[in-house]
Amino acid sequence: MSKLTGKIGKSYVLTSIIISAIVIVLVFIILVGNSWQAVSNLGWNLFSLRWNAPTGEFGILSMCYGTAIVTLIALLLAVPLGIMTAIFTSEMLPSKLRIPVKSLLELLAGIPSIIYGLIGIAFFAIWLQDLFQLQSGRTILTAGFLLAIMILPTIITLVDDALHNIPKQYQEASMGLGLYKYEIIKNTLLPIAKADIYGAILLAFGRALGETMAVMLVIGSIDKIPSPFFNVLSPGQTITSKLGREIAETSFGSVHFSAMIFMGLILFTLVFIITLFSQRANKKRIRLYE
Amino acid sequence: MKIKFILFLSCTTFCLFSCTKKESITISGSTTVLPVISNAANAYKNTHTDVNIIVNAGGSGVGMNQLGEEKTSMGMISRDITNAEKEKYPKTNFKVIAIGKDAVVAVVSSEIYDAGITELTLAQLAAVYKGEIKNWKELGGPDKEILCVDKEAARGTRHVFMEIVMGDKEAEAPGADLVLGSNNEEQTSIVQSDAAIGMLSNAWLNDDVKGLNIKMNDSIFIEPSLANIVNGTYPITRNLEIVTRGEPKGQLKEFIDYVLGPEGQKFVEEAGYVKINR
Repeated sequence: MSKLTGKIGKSYVLTSIIISAIVIVLVFIILVGNSWQAVSNLGWNLFSLRWNAPTGEFGILSMCYGTAIVTLIALLLAVPLGIMTAIFTSEMLPSKLRIPVKSLLELLAGIPSIIYGLIGIAFFAIWLQDLFQLQSGRTILTAGFLLAIMILPTIITLVDDALHNIPKQYQEASMGLGLYKYEIIKNTLLPIAKADIYGAILLAFGRALGETMAVMLVIGSIDKIPSPFFNVLSPGQTITSKLGREIAETSFGSVHFSAMIFMGLILFTLVFIITLFSQRANKKRIRLYE
Repeated sequence: MKIKFILFLSCTTFCLFSCTKKESITISGSTTVLPVISNAANAYKNTHTDVNIIVNAGGSGVGMNQLGEEKTSMGMISRDITNAEKEKYPKTNFKVIAIGKDAVVAVVSSEIYDAGITELTLAQLAAVYKGEIKNWKELGGPDKEILCVDKEAARGTRHVFMEIVMGDKEAEAPGADLVLGSNNEEQTSIVQSDAAIGMLSNAWLNDDVKGLNIKMNDSIFIEPSLANIVNGTYPITRNLEIVTRGEPKGQLKEFIDYVLGPEGQKFVEEAGYVKINR
Protein backbone atom coordinates (compact mmCIF):
# COMPACT_ATOMS: atom_id res chain seq x y z
CA MET A 1 0.00 0.00 0.00
CA SER A 2 2.65 2.48 1.03
CA LYS A 3 4.62 1.54 -2.08
CA LEU A 4 1.60 2.35 -4.22
CA THR A 5 0.89 5.69 -2.54
CA GLY A 6 4.56 6.53 -2.91
CA LYS A 7 4.30 5.86 -6.62
CA ILE A 8 1.13 7.91 -6.94
CA GLY A 9 2.72 10.78 -5.07
CA LYS A 10 5.80 10.62 -7.23
CA SER A 11 3.89 10.59 -10.50
CA TYR A 12 1.65 13.42 -9.27
CA VAL A 13 4.64 15.60 -8.55
CA LEU A 14 6.22 14.63 -11.85
CA THR A 15 3.07 15.48 -13.84
CA SER A 16 2.79 18.86 -12.15
CA ILE A 17 6.39 19.66 -13.01
CA ILE A 18 5.93 18.53 -16.60
CA ILE A 19 2.78 20.61 -16.99
CA SER A 20 4.47 23.78 -15.73
CA ALA A 21 7.47 23.10 -17.95
CA ILE A 22 5.20 22.61 -20.97
CA VAL A 23 3.40 25.87 -20.23
CA ILE A 24 6.69 27.79 -20.19
CA VAL A 25 7.85 26.17 -23.42
CA LEU A 26 4.47 26.80 -25.05
CA VAL A 27 4.50 30.47 -24.06
CA PHE A 28 7.96 30.80 -25.56
CA ILE A 29 6.97 29.03 -28.80
CA ILE A 30 3.82 31.12 -29.15
CA LEU A 31 5.76 34.34 -28.58
CA VAL A 32 8.43 33.39 -31.12
CA GLY A 33 5.87 32.12 -33.64
CA ASN A 34 3.69 35.20 -33.47
CA SER A 35 6.50 37.70 -33.49
CA TRP A 36 8.11 36.08 -36.52
CA GLN A 37 5.93 38.06 -38.93
CA ALA A 38 7.14 41.38 -37.53
CA VAL A 39 10.76 40.26 -37.50
CA SER A 40 10.66 39.04 -41.11
CA ASN A 41 8.71 42.06 -42.39
CA LEU A 42 10.48 44.81 -40.52
CA GLY A 43 13.84 43.35 -39.54
CA TRP A 44 16.08 45.94 -37.94
CA ASN A 45 13.40 48.60 -38.41
CA LEU A 46 11.89 47.20 -35.24
CA PHE A 47 14.72 48.88 -33.39
CA SER A 48 13.85 52.40 -34.44
CA LEU A 49 12.20 55.29 -32.63
CA ARG A 50 8.98 55.78 -34.54
CA TRP A 51 5.85 53.80 -33.70
CA ASN A 52 2.97 54.68 -35.99
CA ALA A 53 0.58 51.86 -36.74
CA PRO A 54 -1.30 53.41 -39.72
CA THR A 55 1.94 53.86 -41.70
CA GLY A 56 3.30 50.49 -40.64
CA GLU A 57 6.19 51.78 -38.56
CA PHE A 58 6.83 49.79 -35.43
CA GLY A 59 9.94 51.03 -33.66
CA ILE A 60 10.16 49.63 -30.16
CA LEU A 61 13.23 51.52 -28.90
CA SER A 62 11.30 54.12 -26.89
CA MET A 63 9.38 51.36 -25.11
CA CYS A 64 12.59 49.46 -24.32
CA TYR A 65 14.15 52.66 -23.03
CA GLY A 66 11.10 53.36 -20.87
CA THR A 67 11.18 49.89 -19.35
CA ALA A 68 14.91 50.18 -18.63
CA ILE A 69 14.76 53.62 -17.03
CA VAL A 70 11.63 52.95 -14.95
CA THR A 71 13.11 49.71 -13.63
CA LEU A 72 16.42 51.43 -12.91
CA ILE A 73 14.73 54.21 -10.91
CA ALA A 74 12.67 51.67 -8.99
CA LEU A 75 15.76 49.64 -8.09
CA LEU A 76 17.84 52.70 -7.17
CA LEU A 77 15.16 53.74 -4.71
CA ALA A 78 14.06 50.37 -3.40
CA VAL A 79 17.35 48.50 -2.99
CA PRO A 80 19.06 50.74 -0.40
CA LEU A 81 15.79 51.34 1.42
CA GLY A 82 14.93 47.64 1.37
CA ILE A 83 18.31 46.50 2.65
CA MET A 84 18.32 49.10 5.44
CA THR A 85 14.81 48.10 6.50
CA ALA A 86 15.80 44.44 6.46
CA ILE A 87 18.83 45.16 8.65
CA PHE A 88 16.52 46.96 11.04
CA THR A 89 13.88 44.22 11.23
CA SER A 90 16.42 41.42 11.46
CA GLU A 91 19.12 42.89 13.70
CA MET A 92 17.73 45.78 15.69
CA LEU A 93 14.08 45.06 16.27
CA PRO A 94 13.34 42.95 19.38
CA SER A 95 12.70 39.43 18.10
CA LYS A 96 9.16 39.52 19.51
CA LEU A 97 8.28 42.33 17.12
CA ARG A 98 10.10 40.99 14.09
CA ILE A 99 7.35 38.71 12.75
CA PRO A 100 4.46 41.20 13.13
CA VAL A 101 6.43 44.00 11.53
CA LYS A 102 7.57 41.72 8.75
CA SER A 103 4.07 40.46 8.04
CA LEU A 104 2.81 44.01 7.83
CA LEU A 105 5.52 44.84 5.33
CA GLU A 106 4.72 41.72 3.34
CA LEU A 107 1.12 42.85 3.19
CA LEU A 108 2.33 45.58 0.85
CA ALA A 109 3.13 42.89 -1.68
CA GLY A 110 -0.42 41.58 -1.58
CA ILE A 111 -2.12 44.81 -2.61
CA PRO A 112 -3.35 44.55 -6.21
CA SER A 113 -1.32 46.73 -8.55
CA ILE A 114 -4.38 48.57 -9.86
CA ILE A 115 -4.82 50.01 -6.36
CA TYR A 116 -1.28 51.34 -6.43
CA GLY A 117 -2.04 52.77 -9.86
CA LEU A 118 -5.16 54.56 -8.69
CA ILE A 119 -3.43 55.99 -5.63
CA GLY A 120 -0.58 56.98 -7.91
CA ILE A 121 -2.78 58.87 -10.34
CA ALA A 122 -5.03 60.45 -7.71
CA PHE A 123 -2.37 61.66 -5.27
CA PHE A 124 1.18 60.82 -6.19
CA ALA A 125 1.11 62.35 -9.64
CA ILE A 126 -0.41 65.54 -8.24
CA TRP A 127 2.23 65.83 -5.50
CA LEU A 128 5.05 65.40 -7.97
CA GLN A 129 3.40 67.89 -10.30
CA ASP A 130 3.28 70.53 -7.55
CA LEU A 131 6.69 69.67 -6.13
CA PHE A 132 8.60 69.98 -9.40
CA GLN A 133 6.27 72.55 -10.99
CA LEU A 134 5.54 70.17 -13.84
CA GLN A 135 3.00 70.39 -16.62
CA SER A 136 1.75 66.98 -15.73
CA GLY A 137 2.47 64.53 -12.93
CA ARG A 138 2.35 61.56 -15.30
CA THR A 139 6.07 61.01 -15.65
CA ILE A 140 8.70 58.31 -15.78
CA LEU A 141 9.77 59.27 -12.26
CA THR A 142 6.22 58.80 -10.92
CA ALA A 143 6.14 55.31 -12.38
CA GLY A 144 9.59 54.58 -10.94
CA PHE A 145 8.53 55.74 -7.47
CA LEU A 146 5.39 53.65 -7.57
CA LEU A 147 7.28 50.58 -8.71
CA ALA A 148 9.85 51.11 -5.96
CA ILE A 149 7.08 50.89 -3.36
CA MET A 150 5.74 47.78 -5.03
CA ILE A 151 9.05 45.86 -5.09
CA LEU A 152 10.13 46.99 -1.64
CA PRO A 153 8.43 44.13 0.27
CA THR A 154 10.15 41.51 -1.91
CA ILE A 155 13.57 42.94 -1.12
CA ILE A 156 12.83 43.47 2.57
CA THR A 157 11.50 40.02 3.28
CA LEU A 158 14.20 38.13 1.35
CA VAL A 159 17.10 40.14 2.74
CA ASP A 160 15.65 39.89 6.22
CA ASP A 161 15.50 36.10 5.91
CA ALA A 162 19.05 36.03 4.61
CA LEU A 163 20.37 38.03 7.56
CA HIS A 164 18.29 36.12 10.06
CA ASN A 165 19.50 32.75 8.82
CA ILE A 166 23.13 33.51 9.57
CA PRO A 167 24.04 31.44 12.63
CA LYS A 168 24.47 33.34 15.88
CA GLN A 169 28.08 32.14 16.24
CA TYR A 170 29.24 34.72 13.73
CA GLN A 171 27.69 37.59 15.64
CA GLU A 172 28.93 36.21 18.93
CA ALA A 173 32.43 35.78 17.61
CA SER A 174 32.41 39.30 16.17
CA MET A 175 31.11 40.66 19.43
CA GLY A 176 33.84 38.79 21.22
CA LEU A 177 36.37 40.67 19.11
CA GLY A 178 34.91 43.85 20.54
CA LEU A 179 33.25 45.13 17.35
CA TYR A 180 30.45 47.62 17.44
CA LYS A 181 27.00 46.59 16.15
CA TYR A 182 27.56 48.72 13.05
CA GLU A 183 30.84 46.93 12.34
CA ILE A 184 29.29 43.52 12.86
CA ILE A 185 26.57 44.29 10.32
CA LYS A 186 28.92 45.85 7.82
CA ASN A 187 31.86 43.47 8.06
CA THR A 188 30.33 40.16 9.11
CA LEU A 189 26.67 39.85 8.28
CA LEU A 190 26.39 41.69 4.95
CA PRO A 191 29.34 39.89 3.31
CA ILE A 192 27.94 36.50 4.33
CA ALA A 193 24.46 37.37 3.06
CA LYS A 194 25.77 38.94 -0.13
CA ALA A 195 24.66 36.17 -2.49
CA ASP A 196 21.15 36.14 -1.02
CA ILE A 197 20.86 39.91 -1.28
CA TYR A 198 21.93 39.67 -4.89
CA GLY A 199 19.21 37.08 -5.50
CA ALA A 200 16.60 39.26 -3.80
CA ILE A 201 17.49 42.21 -5.99
CA LEU A 202 17.22 40.13 -9.16
CA LEU A 203 13.82 38.82 -8.11
CA ALA A 204 12.60 42.37 -7.46
CA PHE A 205 14.08 43.38 -10.82
CA GLY A 206 11.98 40.72 -12.53
CA ARG A 207 8.82 41.94 -10.86
CA ALA A 208 9.54 45.56 -11.77
CA LEU A 209 10.05 44.63 -15.42
CA GLY A 210 6.70 42.93 -15.71
CA GLU A 211 4.48 45.32 -13.77
CA THR A 212 1.72 46.70 -16.00
CA MET A 213 -1.35 48.31 -14.48
CA ALA A 214 0.21 50.75 -12.03
CA VAL A 215 2.81 51.88 -14.53
CA MET A 216 0.28 52.20 -17.35
CA LEU A 217 -1.88 54.61 -15.38
CA VAL A 218 0.86 57.00 -14.31
CA ILE A 219 3.48 57.04 -17.06
CA GLY A 220 1.70 59.20 -19.65
CA SER A 221 1.95 56.64 -22.45
CA ILE A 222 3.75 58.63 -25.08
CA ASP A 223 6.09 56.70 -27.37
CA LYS A 224 9.03 59.04 -27.06
CA ILE A 225 12.43 59.04 -25.46
CA PRO A 226 12.52 62.29 -23.45
CA SER A 227 15.04 64.91 -24.42
CA PRO A 228 17.59 64.98 -22.93
CA PHE A 229 17.30 61.25 -22.42
CA PHE A 230 17.89 61.40 -18.64
CA ASN A 231 15.00 63.82 -18.10
CA VAL A 232 12.84 61.49 -16.04
CA LEU A 233 10.35 64.25 -15.27
CA SER A 234 8.71 63.83 -18.66
CA PRO A 235 6.20 61.19 -19.75
CA GLY A 236 7.27 57.99 -21.44
CA GLN A 237 6.15 54.49 -22.25
CA THR A 238 7.20 51.05 -21.09
CA ILE A 239 6.79 47.77 -22.94
CA THR A 240 4.11 46.62 -20.54
CA SER A 241 2.13 49.87 -20.63
CA LYS A 242 2.24 49.82 -24.43
CA LEU A 243 0.99 46.24 -24.48
CA GLY A 244 -1.72 47.04 -21.96
CA ARG A 245 -3.01 50.02 -23.89
CA GLU A 246 -2.75 48.80 -27.43
CA ILE A 247 -2.98 45.02 -27.65
CA ALA A 248 -6.79 45.04 -27.81
CA GLU A 249 -6.73 47.44 -30.75
CA THR A 250 -4.73 45.09 -32.91
CA SER A 251 -6.23 42.26 -34.87
CA PHE A 252 -4.80 38.79 -34.55
CA GLY A 253 -2.31 38.00 -37.30
CA SER A 254 -1.48 41.57 -38.34
CA VAL A 255 2.05 43.00 -38.33
CA HIS A 256 0.87 45.38 -35.62
CA PHE A 257 -0.09 42.45 -33.40
CA SER A 258 3.13 40.69 -34.25
CA ALA A 259 5.21 43.72 -33.28
CA MET A 260 3.40 43.85 -29.94
CA ILE A 261 4.16 40.18 -29.36
CA PHE A 262 7.78 40.83 -30.26
CA MET A 263 7.95 43.28 -27.35
CA GLY A 264 6.46 40.58 -25.18
CA LEU A 265 9.19 38.23 -26.34
CA ILE A 266 11.87 40.74 -25.38
CA LEU A 267 10.34 41.03 -21.92
CA PHE A 268 10.12 37.27 -21.59
CA THR A 269 13.75 36.83 -22.59
CA LEU A 270 14.87 39.48 -20.11
CA VAL A 271 12.96 37.91 -17.23
CA PHE A 272 14.29 34.50 -18.25
CA ILE A 273 17.90 35.71 -18.20
CA ILE A 274 17.39 37.40 -14.84
CA THR A 275 15.89 34.25 -13.38
CA LEU A 276 18.87 32.24 -14.62
CA PHE A 277 21.25 34.71 -13.00
CA SER A 278 19.39 34.69 -9.71
CA GLN A 279 19.45 30.87 -9.71
CA ARG A 280 23.20 30.96 -10.20
CA ALA A 281 23.58 33.51 -7.46
CA ASN A 282 21.79 31.17 -5.10
CA LYS A 283 23.82 28.15 -6.18
CA LYS A 284 27.18 29.86 -5.80
CA ARG A 285 26.47 30.69 -2.19
CA ILE A 286 29.34 29.44 -0.09
CA ARG A 287 28.18 28.03 3.19
CA LEU A 288 30.82 29.27 5.56
CA TYR A 289 29.02 28.19 8.61
CA GLU A 290 28.18 25.02 10.45
CA MET B 1 -24.90 6.96 -0.47
CA LYS B 2 -23.13 10.24 -0.16
CA ILE B 3 -21.84 10.07 -3.72
CA LYS B 4 -25.30 9.33 -5.07
CA PHE B 5 -26.63 12.36 -3.26
CA ILE B 6 -23.93 14.61 -4.67
CA LEU B 7 -24.56 13.25 -8.15
CA PHE B 8 -28.26 13.89 -7.77
CA LEU B 9 -27.63 17.40 -6.56
CA SER B 10 -25.28 18.26 -9.39
CA CYS B 11 -27.70 16.80 -11.94
CA THR B 12 -30.58 18.90 -10.66
CA THR B 13 -28.55 22.08 -10.49
CA PHE B 14 -27.32 21.43 -14.00
CA CYS B 15 -30.88 20.95 -15.21
CA LEU B 16 -32.09 24.05 -13.44
CA PHE B 17 -29.32 26.13 -14.91
CA SER B 18 -29.93 24.93 -18.42
CA CYS B 19 -33.63 25.62 -18.07
CA THR B 20 -33.20 29.19 -16.89
CA LYS B 21 -30.23 29.91 -19.12
CA LYS B 22 -30.73 33.44 -20.41
CA GLU B 23 -29.90 34.51 -23.88
CA SER B 24 -27.03 36.94 -23.59
CA ILE B 25 -26.01 39.86 -25.73
CA THR B 26 -22.43 41.06 -25.37
CA ILE B 27 -21.53 44.57 -26.43
CA SER B 28 -18.23 46.42 -26.41
CA GLY B 29 -16.63 49.52 -27.88
CA SER B 30 -16.58 53.27 -27.65
CA THR B 31 -16.65 54.93 -24.24
CA THR B 32 -18.56 57.76 -25.91
CA VAL B 33 -21.52 55.53 -26.80
CA LEU B 34 -21.18 53.50 -23.61
CA PRO B 35 -23.35 55.61 -21.25
CA VAL B 36 -26.29 55.46 -23.65
CA ILE B 37 -26.14 51.75 -24.29
CA SER B 38 -25.42 50.69 -20.73
CA ASN B 39 -28.29 52.76 -19.35
CA ALA B 40 -30.59 51.48 -22.07
CA ALA B 41 -29.45 47.92 -21.35
CA ASN B 42 -30.20 48.28 -17.64
CA ALA B 43 -33.68 49.58 -18.31
CA TYR B 44 -34.27 46.93 -20.98
CA LYS B 45 -33.23 44.14 -18.63
CA ASN B 46 -35.87 45.26 -16.13
CA THR B 47 -38.67 44.68 -18.59
CA HIS B 48 -37.14 41.71 -20.46
CA THR B 49 -35.96 39.30 -17.79
CA ASP B 50 -35.10 36.58 -20.30
CA VAL B 51 -32.16 38.50 -21.76
CA ASN B 52 -28.81 39.23 -20.24
CA ILE B 53 -26.91 42.16 -21.71
CA ILE B 54 -23.24 42.64 -20.93
CA VAL B 55 -21.75 46.00 -21.90
CA ASN B 56 -18.01 46.61 -21.93
CA ALA B 57 -15.89 49.64 -22.85
CA GLY B 58 -12.59 49.58 -24.74
CA GLY B 59 -12.87 52.17 -27.48
CA SER B 60 -14.22 52.07 -31.04
CA GLY B 61 -11.23 50.14 -32.39
CA VAL B 62 -11.54 47.46 -29.74
CA GLY B 63 -15.28 47.25 -30.35
CA MET B 64 -14.78 46.60 -34.06
CA ASN B 65 -12.03 44.03 -33.46
CA GLN B 66 -14.06 42.05 -30.97
CA LEU B 67 -17.11 42.14 -33.23
CA GLY B 68 -15.05 41.02 -36.21
CA GLU B 69 -13.54 38.17 -34.21
CA GLU B 70 -17.02 37.17 -33.07
CA LYS B 71 -16.26 37.77 -29.42
CA THR B 72 -19.24 40.11 -29.10
CA SER B 73 -22.64 40.38 -30.76
CA MET B 74 -22.66 44.14 -31.14
CA GLY B 75 -20.05 46.90 -31.32
CA MET B 76 -20.34 50.57 -30.37
CA ILE B 77 -18.42 53.08 -32.48
CA SER B 78 -18.21 56.84 -32.38
CA ARG B 79 -16.86 57.17 -35.93
CA ASP B 80 -17.39 55.44 -39.25
CA ILE B 81 -15.99 52.02 -40.03
CA THR B 82 -12.61 52.35 -41.70
CA ASN B 83 -11.71 50.60 -44.93
CA ALA B 84 -8.92 48.80 -43.13
CA GLU B 85 -11.47 47.27 -40.78
CA LYS B 86 -13.66 46.16 -43.67
CA GLU B 87 -10.62 44.55 -45.32
CA LYS B 88 -9.61 42.86 -42.09
CA TYR B 89 -12.87 40.93 -41.89
CA PRO B 90 -13.86 40.45 -45.53
CA LYS B 91 -16.40 37.74 -44.75
CA THR B 92 -18.36 39.90 -42.32
CA ASN B 93 -21.04 42.21 -43.60
CA PHE B 94 -21.06 44.95 -40.99
CA LYS B 95 -24.42 46.60 -40.50
CA VAL B 96 -24.14 50.12 -39.08
CA ILE B 97 -27.02 51.81 -37.28
CA ALA B 98 -26.81 55.41 -36.07
CA ILE B 99 -28.35 55.95 -32.65
CA GLY B 100 -27.46 59.57 -31.97
CA LYS B 101 -25.24 62.52 -32.75
CA ASP B 102 -22.39 64.07 -30.82
CA ALA B 103 -19.77 66.76 -31.11
CA VAL B 104 -16.09 66.38 -30.33
CA VAL B 105 -15.05 69.49 -28.48
CA ALA B 106 -11.62 70.93 -27.96
CA VAL B 107 -11.39 71.42 -24.22
CA VAL B 108 -9.02 73.34 -21.96
CA SER B 109 -8.37 73.49 -18.24
CA SER B 110 -10.63 75.98 -16.47
CA GLU B 111 -7.60 78.17 -15.58
CA ILE B 112 -6.88 78.72 -19.27
CA TYR B 113 -10.53 79.29 -20.09
CA ASP B 114 -10.85 81.87 -17.33
CA ALA B 115 -7.67 83.57 -18.54
CA GLY B 116 -9.49 84.44 -21.73
CA ILE B 117 -8.96 81.62 -24.18
CA THR B 118 -12.51 80.75 -25.10
CA GLU B 119 -12.20 80.20 -28.81
CA LEU B 120 -9.63 78.95 -31.29
CA THR B 121 -9.62 78.45 -35.02
CA LEU B 122 -9.20 74.97 -36.48
CA ALA B 123 -5.78 76.05 -37.76
CA GLN B 124 -4.69 77.05 -34.26
CA LEU B 125 -5.84 73.72 -32.88
CA ALA B 126 -3.89 71.94 -35.62
CA ALA B 127 -0.79 73.99 -34.83
CA VAL B 128 -0.99 73.01 -31.16
CA TYR B 129 -1.26 69.31 -32.01
CA LYS B 130 1.52 69.59 -34.61
CA GLY B 131 3.77 71.08 -31.93
CA GLU B 132 4.14 74.45 -33.69
CA ILE B 133 2.53 76.37 -30.85
CA LYS B 134 3.93 75.39 -27.47
CA ASN B 135 2.90 78.22 -25.16
CA TRP B 136 -0.50 79.69 -24.36
CA LYS B 137 1.08 83.13 -24.76
CA GLU B 138 1.16 82.61 -28.53
CA LEU B 139 -2.61 82.22 -28.48
CA GLY B 140 -3.19 85.26 -26.31
CA GLY B 141 -3.29 83.43 -22.99
CA PRO B 142 -1.01 83.33 -19.93
CA ASP B 143 2.68 82.50 -20.19
CA LYS B 144 2.33 78.78 -19.61
CA GLU B 145 3.49 75.81 -21.61
CA ILE B 146 0.67 73.91 -23.26
CA LEU B 147 0.06 70.40 -21.98
CA CYS B 148 -1.25 68.81 -25.15
CA VAL B 149 -3.27 65.67 -24.40
CA ASP B 150 -3.72 63.19 -27.22
CA LYS B 151 -5.75 59.97 -27.36
CA GLU B 152 -4.88 56.40 -28.26
CA ALA B 153 -4.76 55.89 -32.02
CA ALA B 154 -7.84 53.67 -32.32
CA ARG B 155 -10.19 55.91 -30.34
CA GLY B 156 -13.22 57.19 -32.25
CA THR B 157 -13.07 60.63 -30.65
CA ARG B 158 -9.55 61.05 -31.98
CA HIS B 159 -10.50 59.91 -35.49
CA VAL B 160 -13.25 62.52 -35.74
CA PHE B 161 -11.19 65.30 -34.18
CA MET B 162 -8.12 64.65 -36.33
CA GLU B 163 -10.19 64.24 -39.50
CA ILE B 164 -11.56 67.76 -39.18
CA VAL B 165 -8.68 69.53 -37.47
CA MET B 166 -5.72 67.97 -39.26
CA GLY B 167 -7.45 66.62 -42.36
CA ASP B 168 -6.46 63.01 -41.72
CA LYS B 169 -8.13 60.80 -39.15
CA GLU B 170 -4.90 58.96 -38.42
CA ALA B 171 -2.71 62.05 -38.37
CA GLU B 172 0.21 61.94 -36.00
CA ALA B 173 0.37 64.57 -33.30
CA PRO B 174 4.03 65.40 -32.70
CA GLY B 175 3.05 68.11 -30.22
CA ALA B 176 1.33 65.68 -27.85
CA ASP B 177 2.67 65.43 -24.30
CA LEU B 178 0.40 62.66 -23.01
CA VAL B 179 -1.49 59.88 -24.75
CA LEU B 180 -4.52 58.67 -22.83
CA GLY B 181 -7.43 56.37 -23.45
CA SER B 182 -11.01 56.82 -22.36
CA ASN B 183 -12.99 60.06 -22.08
CA ASN B 184 -12.76 59.52 -18.34
CA GLU B 185 -8.97 59.42 -18.26
CA GLU B 186 -8.71 62.40 -20.59
CA GLN B 187 -11.11 64.43 -18.46
CA THR B 188 -9.16 63.61 -15.27
CA SER B 189 -5.86 64.72 -16.75
CA ILE B 190 -7.32 68.03 -17.93
CA VAL B 191 -8.85 68.70 -14.52
CA GLN B 192 -5.55 67.88 -12.81
CA SER B 193 -3.59 70.29 -14.97
CA ASP B 194 -3.85 74.06 -15.19
CA ALA B 195 -2.59 74.37 -18.76
CA ALA B 196 -3.99 71.43 -20.65
CA ILE B 197 -5.78 71.10 -23.96
CA GLY B 198 -7.52 67.95 -25.08
CA MET B 199 -10.44 66.53 -27.00
CA LEU B 200 -13.60 65.27 -25.39
CA SER B 201 -17.06 64.24 -26.33
CA ASN B 202 -19.60 67.00 -25.75
CA ALA B 203 -21.24 64.99 -22.98
CA TRP B 204 -18.12 65.06 -20.81
CA LEU B 205 -17.83 68.82 -20.37
CA ASN B 206 -18.25 70.33 -16.90
CA ASP B 207 -17.16 73.30 -14.80
CA ASP B 208 -13.55 72.16 -14.59
CA VAL B 209 -13.32 71.11 -18.22
CA LYS B 210 -14.51 73.89 -20.51
CA GLY B 211 -15.29 73.47 -24.19
CA LEU B 212 -13.85 75.97 -26.64
CA ASN B 213 -15.87 77.76 -29.28
CA ILE B 214 -14.62 77.20 -32.78
CA LYS B 215 -13.68 80.41 -34.52
CA MET B 216 -14.48 80.32 -38.21
CA ASN B 217 -12.65 82.48 -40.71
CA ASP B 218 -15.30 85.21 -40.85
CA SER B 219 -14.94 85.89 -37.14
CA ILE B 220 -18.02 83.90 -36.21
CA PHE B 221 -17.73 81.86 -33.04
CA ILE B 222 -19.59 78.61 -32.91
CA GLU B 223 -20.42 77.35 -29.48
CA PRO B 224 -20.53 73.56 -28.97
CA SER B 225 -24.16 73.79 -27.86
CA LEU B 226 -26.81 71.19 -28.51
CA ALA B 227 -28.61 73.59 -30.88
CA ASN B 228 -25.48 74.02 -32.99
CA ILE B 229 -24.91 70.28 -33.09
CA VAL B 230 -28.48 69.65 -34.21
CA ASN B 231 -28.43 72.21 -37.02
CA GLY B 232 -24.97 71.09 -38.07
CA THR B 233 -23.12 74.39 -37.77
CA TYR B 234 -20.64 73.11 -35.20
CA PRO B 235 -17.91 71.65 -37.40
CA ILE B 236 -16.66 68.65 -35.41
CA THR B 237 -19.70 66.38 -35.18
CA ARG B 238 -20.16 62.69 -35.66
CA ASN B 239 -22.75 59.98 -35.52
CA LEU B 240 -22.82 57.59 -32.61
CA GLU B 241 -23.29 54.18 -34.11
CA ILE B 242 -23.80 50.56 -33.24
CA VAL B 243 -22.58 47.79 -35.49
CA THR B 244 -23.72 44.21 -35.92
CA ARG B 245 -22.58 41.32 -38.07
CA GLY B 246 -25.22 41.21 -40.78
CA GLU B 247 -28.85 42.11 -40.13
CA PRO B 248 -29.61 41.91 -36.41
CA LYS B 249 -31.96 39.09 -35.48
CA GLY B 250 -34.03 37.94 -32.52
CA GLN B 251 -33.28 39.43 -29.13
CA LEU B 252 -30.54 41.64 -30.51
CA LYS B 253 -32.93 43.20 -33.02
CA GLU B 254 -35.47 43.80 -30.29
CA PHE B 255 -32.88 45.55 -28.16
CA ILE B 256 -31.73 47.74 -31.05
CA ASP B 257 -35.33 48.67 -31.82
CA TYR B 258 -35.71 49.62 -28.17
CA VAL B 259 -32.65 51.89 -28.33
CA LEU B 260 -33.97 53.56 -31.49
CA GLY B 261 -37.45 53.90 -30.04
CA PRO B 262 -38.66 56.81 -27.90
CA GLU B 263 -37.58 55.19 -24.62
CA GLY B 264 -34.09 54.40 -25.83
CA GLN B 265 -33.64 57.83 -27.40
CA LYS B 266 -34.35 59.33 -23.98
CA PHE B 267 -31.07 57.83 -22.79
CA VAL B 268 -29.27 59.46 -25.74
CA GLU B 269 -30.49 62.86 -24.59
CA GLU B 270 -29.85 62.13 -20.92
CA ALA B 271 -26.22 61.38 -21.75
CA GLY B 272 -25.89 64.82 -23.33
CA TYR B 273 -26.07 63.83 -26.99
CA VAL B 274 -28.51 64.65 -29.73
CA LYS B 275 -31.13 62.10 -30.63
CA ILE B 276 -31.42 60.79 -34.12
CA ASN B 277 -34.29 61.93 -36.33
CA ARG B 278 -35.96 59.03 -38.02
